[in-house]
Amino acid sequence: MTTTTDILTLAAAGGIEPGAGLTMLVPVLTLLGTLLCGLCAAFKVKSKLPAWLSVACLAGSFVAIAATYADLGHQQRLAHGFEWINFSYTGTDGQPVTFKANFAFYIDSLTLLWMLFVTGLATLIALYASEYMSHDQGTGYCRFFAAFNLFVFSMACLVMGDNLLLLYLGWEGVGLCSYLLIGYFYTRPSAVAAAKKAFIMNRIGDLGLALGIMLTFVHFGSVEYAVIFEKARPYIDALKAGHLDEIPLVASFIPILLMIGAFGKSAQLPLYVWLPDAMEGPTPVSALIHAATMVTAGVYLIARTYPLFLLSDVALPIVGWVGASTALLAATIGMAQFDIKRIMAYSTVSQLGYMFAGLAVLSPVGGASHVFTHAFFKAMLFLSCGAVMHGFAGQLDLRKLSGLFRMPGWKVVSVAMLVGCLNLAGFPLITAGYWSKDIILAEAFVNMPGVGWVLLITAGLTAYYTFRVFFRVFMGPTHYEPGDEVHGHDAHGHGDAHGHDHGHAHHDDPHGHGPAVTATAHDPHAGHDFHPHAPGWAINTVLAVLALASFAIVPLMLTGEHHGWAGGMVEHSSAAYHTVGTSGYLEAAHGHGPHDHGHTHGHDHDHDHGQAHGTFLGMDPHKVMYYVSGVVGLLGIAAAFWLHLAGRTSAASSRADALVPAMGPLAGWARGKWFVDEFYDALIVKPLWVISHIFHVIDTLIVDGLVNLVGWVPRALGGVLRPSQSGQLHGYAAGMAGGLALLLIIVLWVTLR
Amino acid sequence: MIERLAFLWPEIALFITTCVVMVVGLSRSTGVRRLSALITAVGLAAALVLAVATTPKAGQFAPADGQTLFPDLPVFAKTLFAAVGLLLLPLLVGTVDRDDEREIAAGRRAFDPLRSNRAEFYAFYLFSLTGLMLCASASDLVWLFLALELTSLPTYVMVAISSRRHRAQEAAVKYFFLGALGAACFLMGFAFIYGGTGTTRLNVIADVFAASGINPIALAGLVLAVVGLAFKIAAVPMHFYTPDVYQGASPSVAGMLAFVPKAAGFVSLILVLGTVGWTHGPGGESGHSLPESLRVILWVMAALTMTVGNVLALLQSSVRRVLAYSSVAHSGYMLVALVAGPGDGSAASNGLAAVLFYLLAYGVMNLGAFAVLASLVRRNPKDGSADEIDSFDDLRGLCATRPFHGWTLVVCALSLLGFPPLLGFFAKVPLFTSGIAAGEYTLVVILGLNSAIAAFYYLRLVQMPLLEKPDPTTPVPEPVGVPSRTAAGLLSAAGAVVLIAVAGSLFDQAHRASRDPRTVAPARDAAGEPPAAPPIAARPE
Repeated sequence: MTTTTDILTLAAAGGIEPGAGLTMLVPVLTLLGTLLCGLCAAFKVKSKLPAWLSVACLAGSFVAIAATYADLGHQQRLAHGFEWINFSYTGTDGQPVTFKANFAFYIDSLTLLWMLFVTGLATLIALYASEYMSHDQGTGYCRFFAAFNLFVFSMACLVMGDNLLLLYLGWEGVGLCSYLLIGYFYTRPSAVAAAKKAFIMNRIGDLGLALGIMLTFVHFGSVEYAVIFEKARPYIDALKAGHLDEIPLVASFIPILLMIGAFGKSAQLPLYVWLPDAMEGPTPVSALIHAATMVTAGVYLIARTYPLFLLSDVALPIVGWVGASTALLAATIGMAQFDIKRIMAYSTVSQLGYMFAGLAVLSPVGGASHVFTHAFFKAMLFLSCGAVMHGFAGQLDLRKLSGLFRMPGWKVVSVAMLVGCLNLAGFPLITAGYWSKDIILAEAFVNMPGVGWVLLITAGLTAYYTFRVFFRVFMGPTHYEPGDEVHGHDAHGHGDAHGHDHGHAHHDDPHGHGPAVTATAHDPHAGHDFHPHAPGWAINTVLAVLALASFAIVPLMLTGEHHGWAGGMVEHSSAAYHTVGTSGYLEAAHGHGPHDHGHTHGHDHDHDHGQAHGTFLGMDPHKVMYYVSGVVGLLGIAAAFWLHLAGRTSAASSRADALVPAMGPLAGWARGKWFVDEFYDALIVKPLWVISHIFHVIDTLIVDGLVNLVGWVPRALGGVLRPSQSGQLHGYAAGMAGGLALLLIIVLWVTLR
Repeated sequence: MIERLAFLWPEIALFITTCVVMVVGLSRSTGVRRLSALITAVGLAAALVLAVATTPKAGQFAPADGQTLFPDLPVFAKTLFAAVGLLLLPLLVGTVDRDDEREIAAGRRAFDPLRSNRAEFYAFYLFSLTGLMLCASASDLVWLFLALELTSLPTYVMVAISSRRHRAQEAAVKYFFLGALGAACFLMGFAFIYGGTGTTRLNVIADVFAASGINPIALAGLVLAVVGLAFKIAAVPMHFYTPDVYQGASPSVAGMLAFVPKAAGFVSLILVLGTVGWTHGPGGESGHSLPESLRVILWVMAALTMTVGNVLALLQSSVRRVLAYSSVAHSGYMLVALVAGPGDGSAASNGLAAVLFYLLAYGVMNLGAFAVLASLVRRNPKDGSADEIDSFDDLRGLCATRPFHGWTLVVCALSLLGFPPLLGFFAKVPLFTSGIAAGEYTLVVILGLNSAIAAFYYLRLVQMPLLEKPDPTTPVPEPVGVPSRTAAGLLSAAGAVVLIAVAGSLFDQAHRASRDPRTVAPARDAAGEPPAAPPIAARPE
């Protein structure tokens, strides 16, 4: 196992250390991609050229990262690009202070883990988007891919930056790209509102992050990880020795501020409401940014600065409880929604809660492993939903779609969806999602049993709502109603009135002609002759690759000594700080002793510290949790089967409908998303609106009045001075002589005073 | 004297070019006559190269030659003047005898050397620049006076011949008489300084002041000199001529007037005030400033110049008058840094460097605004006569109708306003920092307020071309037929953007150029520090 010293003692020398040079290609290639797409827009390219350019740039980035990983393995490297900010000033204590932030990358296994799936998925999803966005070919297409590349660039800065400022640059960059892409259909008011909502919600979190970075600089005198961790080492040593009081209060505020930033970006309570609305963006964006990569930035931030999080005795418990509550809340909302993309959005929020809880229960391995597996299966779920949306003219209501599995041309999508659902539900043994969720659950019961119970309940609910979608949409009697976009009206916001008709309904596609609408179908658009538009090769290929990949990573979850490959990547990074012989403080703070992470569930492991350990009903969570969580998952699936598939004859109704009245107001509340949006609206938006109107009146009357007065004074003064410019030569000469005399009088007055 | 000739290679090159141009411009052959502008450019380029290559740096002086107050000033100033001179040249092309040449080309008239004034025009321009460069290398009050007059006298003629209209002649006469009054003023000042110190050599005067203080005669001389030089920089109370002359002259010559005399005036002010040094008064953090009486009059001049220039610019409807008044205001800004002086040795506190750098920035960005005015005409639909554009209405929608001119004006106006991140912003910041470092807080506040007032009229120069729609009832302004003027404008706008990249190193050059070794020496002796001490250390008083 890598020792603390190895992780901390990173040579801060300039230049690119051997093996890390290829990582510099990622920002270069993605910026190049952005530029090329911009050029395509400037030259009004109407073909799919920007998509292919993007796929090439992103694939190049992936290869660069993969090669770096092959070269470095678990070693750390610094890649110094150029000096970005470097200035010194004299501090309040008279000592010189240097603020330095280089454009440099800190490459370790945590970074590489993140970059591998970010660039890999970005490549696949760009390929998917080449087909998905094809109805918009032209400037919109270029704009989409330019922002897409820019997103990966920002993500690279965020993940690979060797200092918090570069992370912040990337953090804001991904926020900007998210804003641009959510608002891609910018003529649709709901998309614009969603984009604004995401941006503003993130501002709140970003304020916390910014303050956290400033406090880090004030306290540690640097924003570079290598320096911060070095300076934090005495505190960690104090922790190990059990001297809680040696840690200054200021240092324990840093993680709390950073945490707020993470909650905003990763859509946790109370800042999660932007993410479901962000589904207004095109589906590939939802898959890449709002499911697989950007929203995990908060998890990355906490994992990266994990040593700092150990310095506060409240930060990690807060993270744990916020994560668990978010997981449960989002799962309950997801159970009652009908829009399949929105259900997936809530499930993302819920799974992000899992990851935070994983970090909090001293299992960054679990958190990061779940990020890794979740990236694959959630991207796949979104892309499948996107294919449905694409094919059925924007239809996403699970009451209006049914039995797609049996329709020709939809097999790949259906299978991919099934694989994704199995992963999300945590189907035992064969799915990667099961193994990564399991790590979190086990550790949760060990360290924070309360959190563990919440997460376990959530696991059951997750399995239920996941398969509710699958059984309703893909199984049962075949039936469908097209969405709004079939009319060819301007649903996607591009001025081309028949863009969608061409794209969806009348596309001359070999798969494009599904069976006629079933006899039972009630078609509100009778006479329109709607044909679903089955996905083409690009979408199918991407879904197939993802489905295979999600199985391929199962063995990765089981090999190695640290909960599989992904766990090993985390264990060799700064996130593994707690493993270095902690005792005392952590015990006091989190109610457990040190415990060895060098085991997997498949192995026997001995807990030589027989102290107050959280248990699961008196049993060792590490031993029983995979049975328990597997059973809970299967129960959820069974419930979904009973309520939504068995005996269902129409798309619109199922047995579950009978349960709704029995649940009383609960069902309505869940369907209304617990009215959090309305609550925020009444608590924050409305008062702000009132205040802003009051200020508007003040502004018009007083401030504008003052400004007008200020503007009037120079004019009046000018009016007074203007007659001096008579144009008369002798007048000017007299003015000059008078001015000279006046100045001489002033001199006399000053000297004789 | 021979040794000093070695410092004057750029001036000598310009003088030789002047003689060549004077002859070539009178050639019977149209083709040869056309060469005058090119030869002028070659001469300026040669001067630029020579200024960089041959001007001795500090430390290369033999002791007997170490007579200039700021040994590093000439190389920076001459390079700057040659470079801006080169930029101004395409703007000045085609100012004189364009109609005559057209008639000659059409065969309606034969070439008449008595009517042609192309030779004079370029020659006088070169003379003026020669004088400007000589100002920078002046080591003597007489030299300085002659150099200033060599700078000014040709400009009077250039104003007169720049346009065939009577307003140009009227402007030239005004400019000449008032200029003579200003020159009389500073000449009297120089005489008083001589009377008070018994010498005309700047470094000896400085030694006298340092040894025995400033006697009343010399003080009166300094005040007169400063006020007289205020004419060159168009500062209150010597600013009255500015709008009339700028409006009377053709816009191309007005563009030159905004830079050349101003540069001469500021360099001369630095040299004259350098004899006193910014080491007498209490000052701010640097602990030093000008003697109180000089500080007060410069303070009053700075405050009044900024304010008067800006508030009068607000009321104008003629763009050229706006630019004239804003030129007054910019002089006021620079006077703030002149009051602040060289500071405590750090670049941020060096007001003299701020002045030199602002001159460079102003020269570059102001040129574009005048180039736009000089390169467009509005044709009167009734009689077909063409008038240079001059009102704000003429600029309406220019970005749409004449994108090159419109965008040049937008960029230059924003830069002149000091809009970040354009060059004008980076030039204005040192004015503020040096003022603050010198403790002139009130003056800095006035500077800030004036920058805000300036936004009002500069933003109109942005709004009119960029945001307003072209007026369909009036004809679109036409190019004047001298493409080099458009090019000069584009160069200027590009400079306002591109020079940002090198602003830091250019400012460092300016910082180095404004070192006064005399003020270092006593401190070094007193503290026994090695010669590698900070460039400007405080002289203990």
